[in-house]
Amino acid sequence: MTAKTNKQTLFTRLTNPKYIMVYATIGIFLVIYAAGGFLYGDKGFLTVRTFVNLFIDNAYFGISAVGMTMVLITGGIDLSVGAVASLTGMFIAYGTSVLHLHPMTCIAAALVMGVGLGLLMGWVIHYLNVPAFITTLTGMFLARGVCSLISRESIDIKHPMFDALAGWKVYLMKYSGGEWVKIKPIAFVNFNVLLFLIMILIGAFILQRTRFGRNIYAIGGNEQSASLMGLPVGRTKVLVYGFNGLCSVLAGISYALYVKSGWNLSLQGGELEVITCAVIGGTLLTGGVGYMIGTLFGVLLKSVIPALITFNGNLLSWWGKIATGMLLLLFICIQRFVVTSSARKRT
Amino acid sequence: MAVNKKRFDVSGLMQSKVTWAVIAEALILLVCFIIRPDFFSISYQPSTGMLYGSLIDIVNRSAEITIISMGMTLVIALGGTDLSVGALVAVAGAIALKFLRWDVLTYTTPGDYTVYPYILVIAVPLIVCALMGLFNGFLVAKGGIQPIIATLILMVCGRGVAQILTDGKQFTTGYSPFRVIGQGSFLCLPMPIIITIIVVIAVALFTRKTAFGAFVESVGVNPSASRLSGIKAGSVILIVFMITGLLSGIAGLIYSSRIMSNDSNNAGLNFEMDAILAVVIGGTNMAGGRFSLTGTIVGSLIIRTIVTFVYYFGIVAEATMAFKALIIAVVIVLQSEPVRRYFARKAALRQGGAR
Repeated sequence: MTAKTNKQTLFTRLTNPKYIMVYATIGIFLVIYAAGGFLYGDKGFLTVRTFVNLFIDNAYFGISAVGMTMVLITGGIDLSVGAVASLTGMFIAYGTSVLHLHPMTCIAAALVMGVGLGLLMGWVIHYLNVPAFITTLTGMFLARGVCSLISRESIDIKHPMFDALAGWKVYLMKYSGGEWVKIKPIAFVNFNVLLFLIMILIGAFILQRTRFGRNIYAIGGNEQSASLMGLPVGRTKVLVYGFNGLCSVLAGISYALYVKSGWNLSLQGGELEVITCAVIGGTLLTGGVGYMIGTLFGVLLKSVIPALITFNGNLLSWWGKIATGMLLLLFICIQRFVVTSSARKRT
Repeated sequence: MAVNKKRFDVSGLMQSKVTWAVIAEALILLVCFIIRPDFFSISYQPSTGMLYGSLIDIVNRSAEITIISMGMTLVIALGGTDLSVGALVAVAGAIALKFLRWDVLTYTTPGDYTVYPYILVIAVPLIVCALMGLFNGFLVAKGGIQPIIATLILMVCGRGVAQILTDGKQFTTGYSPFRVIGQGSFLCLPMPIIITIIVVIAVALFTRKTAFGAFVESVGVNPSASRLSGIKAGSVILIVFMITGLLSGIAGLIYSSRIMSNDSNNAGLNFEMDAILAVVIGGTNMAGGRFSLTGTIVGSLIIRTIVTFVYYFGIVAEATMAFKALIIAVVIVLQSEPVRRYFARKAALRQGGAR
């Protein structure tokens, strides 16, 4: 009896309409990936290497998207992530190459800066009642401005420890003929990919398994009710922005490892890419709905389009932007459909 | 403060967000004046028939943002945001230059000519931008999608459209009637200022002399109640987004006429952010409802004054953003609900004490 109910709950849990968006994301990703395999399979689109490269080339967006998903679930928005990540890169680049500091010192300073700015913005948003859009926009201007004050030129990052971290990789192996050999074409997982996956897991754990995560969903569902229920609305919101600041800094570190330099104008418009990842991953901008697994596939879905364009070779890269816009439109329409149909069911 | 001596309602004035915006602008200008006393000087150049000076420059350079933020004010009064305006600026420039040069392989050198009639060069970008605005409005009004997401679509792919229209190339032109839009003059004033004045008057008349402004405010406060009282909320939203698209097109023409070229990467970059800031600094609440066009103009001037200030005193151009952020942070905090309530309470206490 108990086993049966458990089974039923598992089935009903998985077919819950709130997961439709996540399924849509995974489904469309699989369709586009299969289409890519059909068109460019002979050029190696379906190899493990291409798939892993999706992660390697977009890990920094993914890391930032973890924090962004949480912010969006509370019904807020954070436009400062790109600039904070860029500033982190500048801290590391300027600190190691000009001030000759240890990268860890720079990273610590960046963490203090990013988390501090996040907490401050969260405080202003909640306690001074300033719209999140405006507050974080100001944060973006501030971080971007400080980037330019530090340096207007791109600075290379050269430090043995940093190089070691950027160069660290685990080759994917397969078992053949009684021994482990590297798969061909060679594919590897680097620090960024691991960090991305760990952050997704941490994010999923926080959202699904902690009281803090439940509070985030409650605030996004209805902030007033959450407050009337006695939930710590203010504290939760401030901490969410702080956590997002942490994610931005980690994304900045990841980007610095990826390009091995700091530039004051890097990742411009990155905040919108990150928001797009979260939205096509099924997070509602109205708040209350969103899952880390959706965001993971949102990042993959967004990154598979440029990969397709690269494999085609003839298209202008601008078609990527248009395709992303179309995807966004598609997902918004699906979201709209899901929301209205579930609202109809409720009444 | 000489609060007691004044007869008018000080606490009301202190609560008005526009007051704070004007005070902020005055303070920035005062700092400029203290550092450089010639900041306010305006000179007449007989050869070009134009007035020159920092103040003229500020108003001139703020034209694009002021024009866009007129539409943005209405969008924000509806409780929405339009993120696509910057991309539309790029689209307008791309179309205009496409019509001026059409095929760069045949018309290899930029010169004082246009391939298509001038009327098309002006009209088509405006029409396309208005239609794109209508598309935004359609998604919001008929699709019931949050404005910020609906306009995110065009923001993401608008620049892509602009690039593909011009095959990713940058055209330049030397067509003199086109130069007039951004660099010409009329009544001793730069043309962008004249266009801005016309746009401001048109929007002000349309919103304040007809019931449309009241409709916008009503829909912004409560869409369902407005519908029940007979206002077609959908049409109001469509019209507002179309106006914003059209105004972005005008700003795009001014921008590309200034540089006599199309720059799909940088034209209108961050314009949406500046326009939204101008509106919010000007005292229009992002939650929707009452709006202030005057406040928006002041907000736009504040933003431009900060930029000019930074250029004028030789600070790194890219660092403008940090200064912008600091000043905006101050304005926002002063305007925020708790702080204004605090000041209002203080002012009321003093008045009570005087009585």
